[in-house]
Amino acid sequence: MGSLAVDLFGKRLKNPVMNASGTLGYGVEIEPLWSVETMGAYVTKGLSAKPHHGNPTPRVWEERCGMINSIGLQNVGIDHFFSRYFPFFVDKKCPVIVNFFGFSEDEYLSCARSIEPHELIVALEMNLSCPNIKKGGISFGKEASAVHAIVRSVREITKIPLIAKLTPEVKNLAEIARAAYEGGADGLTLINTMPAAIVDVKSRRVPIKGGLSGPALRPVAVRAVHECSQAVPIPIIGAGGIMDTEDALAFLMAGARAIEVGTATFVDPFTVPKIVVGLASWLDGSGCGDMSEIVGIAHG
Amino acid sequence: MDDIPGKIVENCSVTAGYRRLRVKLDRPLGKVSPGQFVMVKIPGREIFLRRPFSIYGSQGRTLTIMYRVVGKGTDALSMAVNKAPVMVLGPLGRGFTAGKGTTPVVVAGGIGYAGVRMLLRRLRGRATLFFGVTGKEELRMAEDLEGTKVLTSTMDGSCGFAGDVVTLLGQHLGDYRGKSPEIFACGPVGMVKSLKGLLDPYRIPCQVSVEERMACGMGLCFGCVVATRDETSPYKRVCKEGPVFSLWDLSL
Repeated sequence: MGSLAVDLFGKRLKNPVMNASGTLGYGVEIEPLWSVETMGAYVTKGLSAKPHHGNPTPRVWEERCGMINSIGLQNVGIDHFFSRYFPFFVDKKCPVIVNFFGFSEDEYLSCARSIEPHELIVALEMNLSCPNIKKGGISFGKEASAVHAIVRSVREITKIPLIAKLTPEVKNLAEIARAAYEGGADGLTLINTMPAAIVDVKSRRVPIKGGLSGPALRPVAVRAVHECSQAVPIPIIGAGGIMDTEDALAFLMAGARAIEVGTATFVDPFTVPKIVVGLASWLDGSGCGDMSEIVGIAHG
Repeated sequence: MDDIPGKIVENCSVTAGYRRLRVKLDRPLGKVSPGQFVMVKIPGREIFLRRPFSIYGSQGRTLTIMYRVVGKGTDALSMAVNKAPVMVLGPLGRGFTAGKGTTPVVVAGGIGYAGVRMLLRRLRGRATLFFGVTGKEELRMAEDLEGTKVLTSTMDGSCGFAGDVVTLLGQHLGDYRGKSPEIFACGPVGMVKSLKGLLDPYRIPCQVSVEERMACGMGLCFGCVVATRDETSPYKRVCKEGPVFSLWDLSL
């Protein structure tokens, strides 16, 4: 029987399945149904140096093939996460990827600086798709030079492997991916949600503008993974509308070393464990040895 | 909490716009506290996310929900046929907790009745229900309630007090002086706001069931928050810390 295990930044994860940041709370909430150590690693909710209140409602809106969210990065802050929630993952020996963000370069730096290396921390995942107040609303992740600069600054102050989570809403994603790699990123997460809006015909208003997630995003994400995994020599974590085992396989074959399940968990809270089981049974019948053999197999 | 497959065994109109859904679950929902809810995967037409519904009744493997058709999800649900498969996640959230030695007073507006009906049953006639609706045909919803004193208000004046239910409650508030009243409410935001206005001088204990658009229903996404007076962390999850909150903690 082949192994689902994947190597990521020098750590061996038992499978390539994770949650997308912000779609599994602080990890403790899912405990009544299944446990976080089902996954290769748990990805934290986006954390900032200081607690953040987030946006007023409505924060979520359904679309036919997905949803729009405008949570506004509500979180308890890095310090609170490590004192209150991190021990839960230590107890379970569950590897953790710490997603973090800032509204300025200083905030990114103070965030990354405050996280001590730990045997269970696989990597830091930098959210490079949030508003950059210094630059008047343009995302850090939209210009190659800005991506290069911020990744390099953060890279210099932490020993923990660094993942850049990128927005696909750019002219040339491969160029942004290269900028992150040259800045020192050890991996990439592709993709974040895409900017979207709703017009409510009943009220004739726009009730929400935010990030689109769910199956509507999937082909965009698959393309991003396929393209960038050939542009840079670092591991890529694929995310965007993964609903089942077949979707997960498509991302792995497109070149993702691991995958993140997000919105699907809201539709079926057991999606993650189902995909873990599904990948194992697919592997058994596939004729492949280990899961890692299929990574990028669709590059031809 | 469990995610349980089930089949629709009844989906009928109770009165204008209000419907009752009965689902036979593969396994019982387990212990339910009044005010808790379920997330239902709606069959048939493509509805992407699940929808939250108050637990109207739960006996053995039979779950009952009362709902009003207000949007795409409930519209699709209203067309679901018998034997259609559903998934039910629950019971979810924190419900009402009735104190000992208090006089329970329940206030419901429209479909808000669905959120307090289990509580009324548990209180077995100890409570008085103030029930506000737009017109008398909606009162048919509460016909299955035996042994509870019901005071009704209709906006069109077709039955009971003519006007809103909070004004009606205001007229009777004096009756509860010295009786340690405890208020439980579920209804539209406007009702909750005027309830706060009415009760503000007296600070009577009051628990309110809050409604908000939800995605996960179990605290994963932080999509369904309500603003509270907690300055360090004002937004609380309706699905996890709620849906029942103390009226005095809410920032309305």
